[in-house]
This record gives sequence, structure tokens and C-alpha cells, in this order.
Amino acid sequence: MKDLSKSKLTRRHFLRGAAASIAAANLFSPYSWLRPSKAFGAGEPDLIIAEKGKPTQLLKAAMDAFGGMGRVVKKGQRVVIKANIAWARTPEQACTNNPELLYALIKMCYEAGAKRVAVWDHTCDNYQFCFSRSGLKKVTQDAGADIFSGHGRNVYKTVDIPKGKALKTAEYIKDVFETDVLINFPIPKQHFATELTLGLKNMMGVVWDMELLHKIDLHQCIADINTLRKPDLVVVDAIRILTTNGPKGPGKTEDPNQVMVSTDIVAVDAYGTALFKNPKTGNPYKPSEVRFIKNAYDLGLGEINLSKVRIKKVQGA
Amino acid sequence: MKLSWRSLRVWVQSLSFLFLLYLILQAAFPLETRLPVDLYLRLSPFIGIISLISQKEFILRMLPAFGVLLFVIVLGNFFCGWFCPMGAAIDFFDRVLFREKKRKRPLDDRPLRKIRYGVFVFALAAGLMGWQLMFLLDPISLITRTLVIAFFPPAVYIYNQLLPLVQKFLPENPFILTSAPLPLFQINILIFLFFVGILSLGVIRRRFWCRYLCPLGTLFSLTSRLRLFRRSVSADCVHCLKCVKECPVGAIPEEKPESYRQHDCITCLRCTDCPPKAVSFGLERPKWEAAPAPSLSRRYVVGSLALGLFSALTVKTNPLQTGTARKNSRMIRPPGALPEEQFVRVCTGCGECLKVCPNNALQATFLEAGLAGFYTPRLVPRIGYCEEHCNFCGRVCPTEAIRPLPMEEKRLVQMGIAHIDKTRCIAFEKDKICMVCNEQCSYHAIIGDDRDDKKRPIVKDELCTGCGICENKCPVEGESAIIVYTTGVQKKVTPEPPEKA
Repeated sequence: MKDLSKSKLTRRHFLRGAAASIAAANLFSPYSWLRPSKAFGAGEPDLIIAEKGKPTQLLKAAMDAFGGMGRVVKKGQRVVIKANIAWARTPEQACTNNPELLYALIKMCYEAGAKRVAVWDHTCDNYQFCFSRSGLKKVTQDAGADIFSGHGRNVYKTVDIPKGKALKTAEYIKDVFETDVLINFPIPKQHFATELTLGLKNMMGVVWDMELLHKIDLHQCIADINTLRKPDLVVVDAIRILTTNGPKGPGKTEDPNQVMVSTDIVAVDAYGTALFKNPKTGNPYKPSEVRFIKNAYDLGLGEINLSKVRIKKVQGA
Repeated sequence: MKLSWRSLRVWVQSLSFLFLLYLILQAAFPLETRLPVDLYLRLSPFIGIISLISQKEFILRMLPAFGVLLFVIVLGNFFCGWFCPMGAAIDFFDRVLFREKKRKRPLDDRPLRKIRYGVFVFALAAGLMGWQLMFLLDPISLITRTLVIAFFPPAVYIYNQLLPLVQKFLPENPFILTSAPLPLFQINILIFLFFVGILSLGVIRRRFWCRYLCPLGTLFSLTSRLRLFRRSVSADCVHCLKCVKECPVGAIPEEKPESYRQHDCITCLRCTDCPPKAVSFGLERPKWEAAPAPSLSRRYVVGSLALGLFSALTVKTNPLQTGTARKNSRMIRPPGALPEEQFVRVCTGCGECLKVCPNNALQATFLEAGLAGFYTPRLVPRIGYCEEHCNFCGRVCPTEAIRPLPMEEKRLVQMGIAHIDKTRCIAFEKDKICMVCNEQCSYHAIIGDDRDDKKRPIVKDELCTGCGICENKCPVEGESAIIVYTTGVQKKVTPEPPEKA
């Protein structure tokens, strides 16, 4: 109260503003005033799930509901897509991104006016084998984008992580750090060490010494890394997912045939957990059962509670 | 005419060296050249013959070498002067760095000339006993290895150092130039010094190595007695002895420059640069008679032979060459390598596999594999691991010491088995959730212990190929907490049955 009385906010001003904002919010969604006020656009949902259809159709449907790629990519901007090309596996094995979807994503960025699109990953297997076997180098170049691997240390720069709890400094890929627009493009997979790998985990592939994170505290480090550069858009490639032997596979795969789009990386990861069954409980994973999502939420990176997230489902075809 | 022949030879020689350089640089991902990148090694009859007699088996890949030998028998030795990349390097450095000492009288080199015959007989005898000396003596293997191990890494180093400078002049995007992974080889200094040593022998005489030591040259000497492409000197000769001084291998005797030691001649055509134009080369009827060759006494030949045989025996009875010492060591051979004894019999130590390995996993040995296994490749996982979908080393091996296995077969070759050191592994020691080895393993050979919640790795021996990716990526400082030990004999692992979807 003390603070309030100091401010110039009069009662009249306050009431007028509050009434207007509630009215505006009510125009679109009946309960939205209950949410913490961090809406990006007034009316768009926070998380869009597109189902049924070909990868290109799914992406288009999801992005249309999102409000178009133009919401994140402005004319003349550099776009970096952090894909998952970590392993020398074929697309059918679902250990790396779907090539068709990547192609559509790059094209969409160019249509929105991107100056140049780059696809980055610090691969675990030899990058040349990863790029060729996954088929992602070909589609990237066909779409007119560049593909880069973080195998050379000169592309990194050392950055401090002020908000990091376990990790205080890291060598981060410079281009990913400094780009105008960052699109996080994960593929959901089962992962022995961290239960699952999703959008937050995907950002591990921009760090030079990934093994070091395992040594310190994997879950907390994943959350810490994500405090540095929040993606402007998360596109989850759940066309085909790997449910066993992750992250390298090959293992069992499932075809949810979904594309999820959001700007909230925690919310999209929280939603993605339900794609997998927790072997211990036999039920789908709960977001809080994957510790790095919980840690990211604790760091204020997004919303873990799905009841507070506006979810919209759309059809691709 | 005379000038053009000489300069033509220098051009051909330089191009031949550059071509070798090109082939070596092409020995890398994706390995899709039309010509085999180990072409030069396949053209060396010394490798062809020694690997044939030591393995007692004909290696089909070495067939071109015998074609070269046939050409030499018919036409005479043209290889050393025109195509040999080692000869090109020696000629170049003789010209720019190591000037032959000026002498009042030419060096009497009759005793020196005998050396290479002794060396050749020694190598032949040792080869017969299964100890091949190609790693030390074959000039093609020597130059390839030197370029790969001693000169390629510094070149990459310089490239990486220059990158920031280059990048200054390029726009930031899309030209992101990534530094290349620096190839590391443990015995590079040794190989470099050996090469420098050979070159600096040029101070004593031009092409010292070629005249007095090179066994490939000896082989060509022995076989080019009946050459058709011959030198002839007309009556215009004024005995100016220019050709005697010019000849880089000393094939023209001072006392009788009209004749020449036809077997020693490398057909460089330098002697055609003759003031009265008395010297010419052309196709002629072969003559057995020639200027006197070094007289090899029976004692000398038999002595070399016996020395070769006994040296080979001592090398072979060294514990490192027997199964006893190999057991459970960390001498991991590349995937598809022949059994150790046969492997060291034909591996020329050329370094092609070291160059082509995309992960810098292969290292040349020094004494770890015994004297018979000098410069042979071994997998050192902490430096680099064996890539699952790569069979390049087998595809570039000129003598098939590493067999060219199809991809699916190579994937499943067991070179060794990983063992976890539980006193160092942070999953056991510090209860960390690490599992780097588990996520990196391509074969599901490292599984999580599901008896408790602690996420600790277990190795399933029957699935482990010993590729070493776990040892390579283990985050424990210094020595890895998971180490690959060789099993002695390579065999095939049974792949895990495909899971039902």
C-alpha cells in the first residue's frame, strides 16, 4: 500500500484501466483474466497443436493459427533454426528431424521475409555422417538455407549465465546467440538420462562441452542454458517420435503425426511429455516428472501448468 | 628440343607430386573419387612383391604395381625420374636446399652402390619370413606417411590460424567458416625427422636415397637390364663430362661417358643436354652388356640374406609379436583388420587410413605393436572413436591389411569390449545422472541398470564392438572411466533383434 500511495495512480485511473483490460480480455476468452498477464498477442493461443495431414500441411495449419510466421520473422532478419541432427541416423528411425518439415519451415521463414536462414546443431556423431544420413543437409540446401555444425571451436563464444544455478559460464554458438530470430526445432524422444528430450533439452546442442553438463548436474544445466537465449518460436516435430532406446536409437517409434507451435518453451515441453508413457507408472508422463522442465519453470522460463496455457488444436488436412 | 624434354620431365614430376597431394586430400569424407586415393601405393612393385611373398597370397588391389614393373622391364626405369613423388621431393630439395658438396674429383661410390642391393636382399629375406620392411623402405609409403602424419596437421593448424584473418574480409553471414578439427598423430616428430634425414643426405650426393638405399629403385635396376628405350652417344662426343656431372644417379662412368649403366639410368634425359648434341634416347635393340655394375660378392649377398632371415626370426620371437603379450592389451586394430600376425605382414604403414578416418581415431604405432608392427594403425578411442557408418579405412588400404568390408558387416565387427571402471565412473562414485556412454552407444551395448533408480551403466559384452565412442565422450577428467580393451581376435557381434514396433 505504501508503494501504491507514492505513485501517481489515482483510484479513477485504476478503475478505468482495470475495467477496460478485463473487458478487452473477455472479448476473446472467458477466463483469461485469471492467467498471469503475459499474453504475447491479445488473442492468439499460447500453444497450437496441428494434427492429421502431411508435415507441410501440419506446419501451415499450426502457423496460420499462430498468426503466421510474420509474427516472429520480420523482413531482412537472420533466422537460425536449432534442429536436432545429433546422430547419424536415417529419418525413418526418428532420431533426427523430419526432412520434409524442416524444408517447409525454412521456406516459411523465407516467405516471411527472412534474409538468410541457417540450420545449426552441434552433433554428437561425426557431423558429416549426421548431415548426410539424416537427409537434412540436402533439404536445407534445397530450401536455400545454410547448414552448420558446431564441430569447430571458433564458432563459439564464452558467455556468462547470470541466472544459472549450476552452470555459470558456457561456450555458446555465436550465431545462435546473436541471431535476430531463433527457432527451436526439437524432435521429442525418449532419453535414458533425462527421461525425455524436448525443446529445452534441444538447446544443449549449442554448447561446446556437452559432456561437461552431464558431469555437473544435467537437469539443472539444461534449464540454465535456456536462460541465455529464449527461442522466439518453438516448433516441435512430433511427426514420428522415438519411444525407446533414446536419444540415439534405433528403437521403437510412434507416429503421433503432430506439429506443436508455441513461444513458451516450458509449456510446449510440458505438453510434449504426454506423448510418452512413463515406464514406472504406466501412465503418460506428467510435466513435473521430467526434472529439467520443472527446473526451467522454477527459473521462470515459462508455464508448466497446462491449465493456465491456452491450447488450440487445429487440423492439417 | 633438348630443353623441352628436360622441362617436360620437371613438369610431369611436379604434377605427379601434386597429384599425390590431391589424392591424399581426397582421402576424406565422402570418399567418392573415381580413382582410388591409394593409387600411388598400388603402383609400387616393391609393395606388390614384398606383400606377395610375406603374405603368400596375391592381393588383387596391388595388380597395377605389376603393370608398372612390366613397363619398366620393357622400356627401362622411367618411374623414379618421372613419376616417383619421393623422387620429386628429393629433386626439389636437392635443388633449393641441399647443395651437393663441391669436390675436386667425383666421389668414388663403388662401395656405396652396393648398399641398396644388400638392403633389397635383406628386405626380401625378411619378407619371406613374414617381417616386411615396407614401412621403413618403400618410398611411396614413406612419402604418403610423411605427408599425412607430418605435414597435414601443420597445414590444418595454419588454416585454423588464418581463419580469423580471412573472415575479416568476408561478410559475417552466410560465410561462417568453421575451423577444421586438428588431426593429431602421436609419432609425427619421428616421421618428420626421418624425412628430413633422408632429404639432407642430398648434401653428400644428389638423390642419395635413390642411388644408395631405395629398394624400389633397386628392384627397377634389377629389372631394367633389357630395356628398349636406350641412350646412345654418337662419335661427336668430346669427353667434356658434362653428362657425368649432370646425371642425378651417377649412371654414366667418368672413364667412358659413351657407355652408361643402363640399369641405374632413371631416364631423366638430363644427359641429352649435351654441348655437341652427341647424346640421344630412342627405342633400340636391348643389350645385356653395359658399363660395369657394382660387383656383388657371393659373400655379400648370402650375408645380407642370412642377416635378413635371422633378424626376421628375432623380431618374430619378440613377446610383442606373440599372442601372450597381445592378450587384453589396448592395441585395438581398425575394423576389418586381418588377424594380427597377417596384419603386420602386409600393412605398409602408409598412413592412408589415418588420413581418411573422419574422427582421427587411428594412430600410427611406434613400438607398441613390436618391431614388426612399426607405424601400423591402431584405434585410440580417447583421441577419436570409430564411426558406426564408416568403412573408409578398409576402402583405402592398398594391401587389404584392413579388409574392405561392406558397411553392414563393418558395423558389427568387434574390435574390443568396453569395461567400466567403477571407481572412477561418476554414476557409481558420485551418484550423478550421467549416462553419456549409454546415449552415445550405437549398439545398445551400454544399458542402464534397472535394478535401482540411480541410472548406472552396464556393458553388454555380446553387443559391444569396441568402437570406443563411450571412452571418447566420457566426461571424467584424464583417463576415461570406460575403457576399451581388445579381445585379441576380431569377430562379428550379433545385432540386437529388431524390436517389434
